[in-house]
Amino acid sequence: MSETLLSVEGLRTYFYTYAGVVKAVDGITLQVNKGETLGLVGESGSGKTVTAQSIMRIVPTPGKTIEGTVKFEERNLLRLKESEMQHIRGKEIAYIPQDPTTTLDPVYSVGDQLVEVIMRHQPVSKRYALAKAIELLHSVGIADPEIRINQYPHELSGGTKQRIAIARALSCEPILILADEPTTALDVTIQAQILELLKDLKQKLNVAMVLITHDMGIVADTCDRVTVLYAGQVCETGTTEQVFENPKHPYTEALLSSVPSLALRKETLSVIPGSVPNLIHPPSGCRFHPRCAYSRQVCIDKDPELEPIGEGRFVHCHRWKELDLKSAVAS
Amino acid sequence: MSMTKYLIRRALYLVPVFFGITFLVFSIERLAGDPVKLLTAGQTRVTEEQRQLLRQYFGLDKPVYQQYLLWLSELFTGNLGYAYTTGGGAPVSTLIGQRAVATLELQLLGLAFSLLIAIPIGVMSAKRRYSKLDLAVTNTSLVGTSIPIFFLGIMAILVLSAKTGGLFPYGGLESISPNQYPYGSAILDQLWHLVLPTSVYTFAILAPVVLLVRSSMLEVLRQDFILAARASGLKESTVIYKHGLRNALLPLLTYVGLYFGGLLTGAPITETVFNWPGVGRLFVQAINNLDFPVIQGVVVVITLMTLVANVITDIAYAYIDPRIRLE
Repeated sequence: MSETLLSVEGLRTYFYTYAGVVKAVDGITLQVNKGETLGLVGESGSGKTVTAQSIMRIVPTPGKTIEGTVKFEERNLLRLKESEMQHIRGKEIAYIPQDPTTTLDPVYSVGDQLVEVIMRHQPVSKRYALAKAIELLHSVGIADPEIRINQYPHELSGGTKQRIAIARALSCEPILILADEPTTALDVTIQAQILELLKDLKQKLNVAMVLITHDMGIVADTCDRVTVLYAGQVCETGTTEQVFENPKHPYTEALLSSVPSLALRKETLSVIPGSVPNLIHPPSGCRFHPRCAYSRQVCIDKDPELEPIGEGRFVHCHRWKELDLKSAVAS
Repeated sequence: MSMTKYLIRRALYLVPVFFGITFLVFSIERLAGDPVKLLTAGQTRVTEEQRQLLRQYFGLDKPVYQQYLLWLSELFTGNLGYAYTTGGGAPVSTLIGQRAVATLELQLLGLAFSLLIAIPIGVMSAKRRYSKLDLAVTNTSLVGTSIPIFFLGIMAILVLSAKTGGLFPYGGLESISPNQYPYGSAILDQLWHLVLPTSVYTFAILAPVVLLVRSSMLEVLRQDFILAARASGLKESTVIYKHGLRNALLPLLTYVGLYFGGLLTGAPITETVFNWPGVGRLFVQAINNLDFPVIQGVVVVITLMTLVANVITDIAYAYIDPRIRLE
């Protein structure tokens, strides 16, 4: 098995709001190996984004990470000083936020924003940084980088902005990229281009990546391994193949069967009944039990353990042994 | 060049606005009452004929449109007219000119201090939203906006001047005689007289600026580009001031722009409370005495200043925010 780069254990990040404590991330455990892509999948509100933000320690207030370890190359990031953490952000771990239309500061030019990050982490001159920025724009497939570098975000299309966000993430040659739904806000053709670009860059630079998405199609296409989240907890983890062909958690099964597929020519699209629970007062026992087709009394009474069931394979269900879940995408 | 085009367009825009405002003021004044009657009220020995002579002297016997045209033609030769009574019938331009310095002193100092104090407080408050500091700031600002300036001014005089045996002067621009100057210095005397009115005025305009900066900053700090800047490992001060504040400055710029329009007339209450010989107090006196030429003169100045301030605001906007282009 390959070397572990990032290992998150028992991570809990809560939001202290007036309405109550929102347990957005409640005991998440996951692992990323060097050079691989991990898919972080789940519905909206399952804690994907907050997990990534907790790893980088940029959770917005009133959120706070209260427990857990985030081990990145033998260092526990949660114990580092803020000043040390600043040198990891952007340099060793980069983050690509969700919506490219809003991730660039509207009042500074593209060049300013790239140069700023390059010069923050590398002892280079402004001229060198500018040349590097142009080279970066070129490497993410932007035509006429010399013109783009002087333009402002409002003059650029969504796809171009996302390419620039990617260029900024790559600017200091990170070893890990956290990409938060990098294609969700883009239209379909641009989505495919951006995914292609990410795959391409990943291969060239041999960088590890956590790809946050709710799109199972993207996972199948780009990820080596998958961690499925539900209501702030892990449902199961495994290689993409294992999880798709042999899901062990009822939620994964439901998620897979709700993917529209042309190949299967399903007449009706299946949905998971209900919605993501209120995370101020989450359901007792297993959080998925109110929506689970296989729930029993034990699921209501007791929260299951995250059980290791094989090499890098975990499942968070009382009944995984008895259930014979089917894969909707087995082909 | 789009900039010249823009300036020309703004200048053309000025024409109807200027005529509209001045004509309105001209008519409304004349509906408000007869200055000659006010002047001669209680004077039993003044006859109706003498009143009519006075009206002729001031030109008030002519139809309003003629009076207006006459006033305009004088205006274009640079003559704002003569006051009926204020300053013993002095030229309006002289009256305004004499008082402009005192007003500008108070206003510019008040603005500068309030911005210098309000921006850091507003930023801090937004940065630590819901903290004790933030609660203290928002509550104090609320109290600050709710206290009328005349009350605050009178309280300041009471506590810091009357009850403390003249720690600060109760008002005025300077001491009456040079032997009252502190350490015999005229400059120190002027500064000494500035302390109370400037402090009260600063406090009065401080609170809204704090609240404006705070809310505008909160809005910006929620944006994704702030998160992205933080995720790039930038220093917190860079994130807050370079990316946060510059974006949050836009609403403040509008506020300051509007403020500049009223720069010469903005503080009549403070000026009245502190017996400050500024344009604001002149304006209030002129209205009370129905001194038409003075009212008109001040209105002309306000109109021109507002329009100029708007142009400057627009230019500053385009400079701070590249999304805005002047066309």
